[in-house]
Amino acid sequence: MNRSAAWIIALLVTVVTGTAALMAQEGEPGTASAVPQEVEAPAGATDDRSALTDPEEQALDARAAEIASGLRCPVCRNQSIVESNADLSREMHAVVRDRLEAGETQEEIEAYFVSRYGEWILLQPQARGINLLVYGLPLLVLVLGFFLARNRLRKWARAGEDSVAADGPADLGAEDEQWLRDALRES
Amino acid sequence: MKKKQLRWLLPLAALPILWLLAWGMGRDTYVLPSPMAGLEAPNFELITFEGDTVQLTDLDGRVVILNFWASWCIPCRQEHPVLVQTERTWDDSEVVLLGVVYQDSRANAERFMDQYGGDWTHVLDPSQRTAIDYGVYGVPETFFIGTDGTISLKKVGPVTWDLVRYQVDSLLAAPATTSSATGTGAAP
Repeated sequence: MNRSAAWIIALLVTVVTGTAALMAQEGEPGTASAVPQEVEAPAGATDDRSALTDPEEQALDARAAEIASGLRCPVCRNQSIVESNADLSREMHAVVRDRLEAGETQEEIEAYFVSRYGEWILLQPQARGINLLVYGLPLLVLVLGFFLARNRLRKWARAGEDSVAADGPADLGAEDEQWLRDALRES
Repeated sequence: MKKKQLRWLLPLAALPILWLLAWGMGRDTYVLPSPMAGLEAPNFELITFEGDTVQLTDLDGRVVILNFWASWCIPCRQEHPVLVQTERTWDDSEVVLLGVVYQDSRANAERFMDQYGGDWTHVLDPSQRTAIDYGVYGVPETFFIGTDGTISLKKVGPVTWDLVRYQVDSLLAAPATTSSATGTGAAP
């Protein structure tokens, strides 16, 4: 094993762990955004059929669900108000939709909930202040890990080469050496 | 030389982790700081059991104790005697105790009041929009609102008499009003 191999392996490990971490992060909102039609359908089904088929209404529902999926259910543990079946969550979801319909932006709606419940209500912390640690540290650890892995691998590689150079392959017992020789002859 | 440096580095790196652990274990994770204290109380328009409409702005100039509660809530039962005492201690013209029934029916709430006593006004919040507007997680939650309409404290969980007396006394003594608060805080 030489120097470039150590680089490649370290890089490979870093990329794999990094990708896995990114995928895990994106998994949460992704699952939630699949829900909107199911959640909003019963409300419109009884009286207004057009509300179900109207693309504008559907877009509004989808957008509301997208924003709501980033808001924490106050009475659950680590669930968004879209995933939760709690009465309070459903009503909060409705508040999101109403505000959206009234022309508010996602930032304004989130600011409203933060002003009432605190930043805790956002499932994904805002990227500022001490929160930056949450975003920066994993990257830092990844980079540090990369260099650590590279150095370690190099060291191992060097140690291997040194031992080969110093003693040759002959540090086996007589029995093992015989076995090795036989095996090599057969192949 | 390098090894010696590393020997120092390891415990040093452990320090922030230990600090984080100590901080995390030393606090109650169920208690969340409310951003509402110090802000203007959101207005609401809710219906009483009798069918009257109550708005917060109608109560301007008075200290308002807004108590979110439900008949199914056990801690609400626990704090109920304190609220009864609150109602008895201050006059309606000075301090208004207003119950907001949360996720509960009027019938249940009335039965609760019949059983445990007390005669202050309650309003219904069937859509829970007022609860959301006040950032309510669950019941009981109590908001102390000063004469100028500013929230001075949000109490999550049952209130105690000491807390109510201290809050109301200091709100009545606030410079916004001329009412004399001396003596009103004494427990009967």
